[in-house]
Amino acid sequence: MTRQLAPQPSTKPNRPPGPAAKIPHRRWTARNRRDFFVFLAMALPNLVLIAVFTYRPLISNMYYSTLDWTLGSPSATVVGLANYVTFFGSNDAPKVLGTTAVFTVVTVGGSMLLGLLVALALNAKVRGTTFARSAVFAPYVLSGVGVGLVWLFIFDPGYGVLAWLLRGLGQQSPQWINDPQLSLVMVIIVYVWKNLGYCAVVYLAGLQSLPQDVMEAAALDGANGFRRFLSISLPLLSPTTFFLLITTMLSSLQAFDLIRIMTPLGTGTSTLIYEAYLQAFGAYNRAGYSAAISVVLFAILLVITVLQLRFVERKVHYS
Amino acid sequence: MAFHLDRRHFLGLAGATASAAALAACGGPSTTGGGQSTSQATDIDFSGVKPAAKIDFWSSHPGQSQEVEKSLIEKFQAKNPGITVNLVTAGANYEEIAQKFQTAQAAKSGLPGVVVLSDVWWFRYYTNGSIIPVDGLTKQLGTKMDDFQQSLVNDYKYDGKQWALPYGRSTPLFYYNKDHFAAAGLPDRAPKTWDEFAEWAPKLKAASGAQYAYIYPALAGYAGWTLQNMLWGWGGGWSKEWDITCDSAESVAALQWAQDSIYKDKWAGVSSKEAADDFSAGLTSTTISSTGSLLGILKSAKFNVGVGFLPGGPKADTNVCPTGGAGLGIPSGITKEEQMAAGMFLDFVTQPESTAEFSAATGYMPTRKSADMTAVLAKTPQIKTAMDQLAVTKVQDNARVFLPGADQEMAKAAAKILTQQGDVKSTMTDLKNTLQGIYDRDVKPKLKA
Repeated sequence: MTRQLAPQPSTKPNRPPGPAAKIPHRRWTARNRRDFFVFLAMALPNLVLIAVFTYRPLISNMYYSTLDWTLGSPSATVVGLANYVTFFGSNDAPKVLGTTAVFTVVTVGGSMLLGLLVALALNAKVRGTTFARSAVFAPYVLSGVGVGLVWLFIFDPGYGVLAWLLRGLGQQSPQWINDPQLSLVMVIIVYVWKNLGYCAVVYLAGLQSLPQDVMEAAALDGANGFRRFLSISLPLLSPTTFFLLITTMLSSLQAFDLIRIMTPLGTGTSTLIYEAYLQAFGAYNRAGYSAAISVVLFAILLVITVLQLRFVERKVHYS
Repeated sequence: MAFHLDRRHFLGLAGATASAAALAACGGPSTTGGGQSTSQATDIDFSGVKPAAKIDFWSSHPGQSQEVEKSLIEKFQAKNPGITVNLVTAGANYEEIAQKFQTAQAAKSGLPGVVVLSDVWWFRYYTNGSIIPVDGLTKQLGTKMDDFQQSLVNDYKYDGKQWALPYGRSTPLFYYNKDHFAAAGLPDRAPKTWDEFAEWAPKLKAASGAQYAYIYPALAGYAGWTLQNMLWGWGGGWSKEWDITCDSAESVAALQWAQDSIYKDKWAGVSSKEAADDFSAGLTSTTISSTGSLLGILKSAKFNVGVGFLPGGPKADTNVCPTGGAGLGIPSGITKEEQMAAGMFLDFVTQPESTAEFSAATGYMPTRKSADMTAVLAKTPQIKTAMDQLAVTKVQDNARVFLPGADQEMAKAAAKILTQQGDVKSTMTDLKNTLQGIYDRDVKPKLKA
């Protein structure tokens, strides 16, 4: 799975320099034509679906971001880049971008770090690891709405389980739901809990495919367990780490369900995607402005993915 | 990777760009009109229009009213055999139903005949041109407009027209645990003012064993609505007409008092989800919640429940209670026949018998003066308090009901003050700037001169 992200070595022959390098157009033979139609028959339905359901909304959204449009209104005014100027010039931008950065960094870092630790524990040859593996992975496949509702009961400062435990210790429950800063902490905890199973399973697969002969050789040379992990396992796991970094970062930046269920007003938890939702559908009805925020999120996702592919992948050891 | 742009590539790219631009311009709003439209405040003539055979009724079932809504629909259909009304659960609350309605407006399809609209949403539908004035319909159907509770029906008047009719209408009520009051040796009544309650609260907290003497309603649940009570009691408000006054000395003093009740005097808390549930569960001795919560509280509370008018403040001890809740409107984007059928249904569910039945099932207030409430009051006498309080209600501040997103901004500011002990003055100054920005950008350009 991780190998799919590796750059493939070029199979093109080296071309000689100069005019001779120009390859003549291939002749459009009957066989070419037949192959092309077969290709069209196979690919066109999918291409149409992708164009209609992915690219059309994407392009429409870019167009809407240039409008002053109240959701529900049949008419709008073209305002060019004014929505972008308003967003970056407002108090919202630093708050929303800051929340997005904190949420993404902590959830990605937390899920990956805890996932790796859990994977190391599950990699031990002891009884009950199969059950533990299923238990750790289970939250990942649960519905975010259900998870959010259950955790809201746990965190409820009035009669939640956590409040009950704290009362037993003579402490008052923090205002998880009403305090904006604690709301962010609450959502991050639940998000990491829900997603660390995914990282753990992927890391576990990586750990189990590590070459044992290298490990044994290092052990014979006197390297202790921590040293072997730091100098051999971790570098060899770098393709897995790289894969997880990309996938968890993309999903964190697009996290919606938990935020929507646990903090419907987005107080303290308004990431870019949630702010886009609130602006259009929450209460403000600024469809054009919301579209502009979505385009900003799209640009950030694109830049992060390109940067990761260009720079981070250089540090990856594929074998 | 080098990219060579030859003629063939250029033409391909240009074609793709042109197609993309054309594709993007398909659908969505029209940009040819040069500005956004509001609903047309002209009488629509429905004479000779035959009602459609079927309409949808979009409801969020305020006050768990699904069963009584079904009952009303059955009675309407029995009276009008040619019209079928399909009850659709279009959301769990006012915000969700608004989201669905506005999405249908944007998609220009799937609109209902009748839609539930809350106090903070109908004006936006008006400014978007999404609803019609119902005057033409009420005139033709002979709806007795003067029989409506005037403070409730006038909430939907603008530009000389009636844009909706009242349906599940409520006011906040002061709920108190009679057993706790008795244990603390307090009189069996709601406090007249918040200062009086501040004297009672320490005794109440000590005698009751409850976590709080009073719990502020959940901030995500319309904090802007209930906090008007304190703001008005102290002589302040969110706004006066279109002037934002949330940072006035009076408003700041009111919210400072609220903050002190939590952090300094330590007898109050803030509900995390639903103050009515916290009260029913015995977590607090008192709270403020909608009349729509009354029957739910009476059903689930294991103690004697008392209700009273909202307390006043140092500047005003009466007329410190806002009205709220939902009305019913008719979309502009449906056929005249559907609007006619919708008007007939609207007329039926707002009849005195219907509003009495709705009130009995939910605790919401009857919207008609002539509604016979004898049977209802015999069963639930507490509803009388809500009905009596109607005489001392006050029209809500424009900033809360007419500015899109203001309720959310007020809740955020309240969270900062009541849960983070933020500085009241600076928080209110920030809120004023935000609300002023919303007014200038989203409302002012659409107001009639």
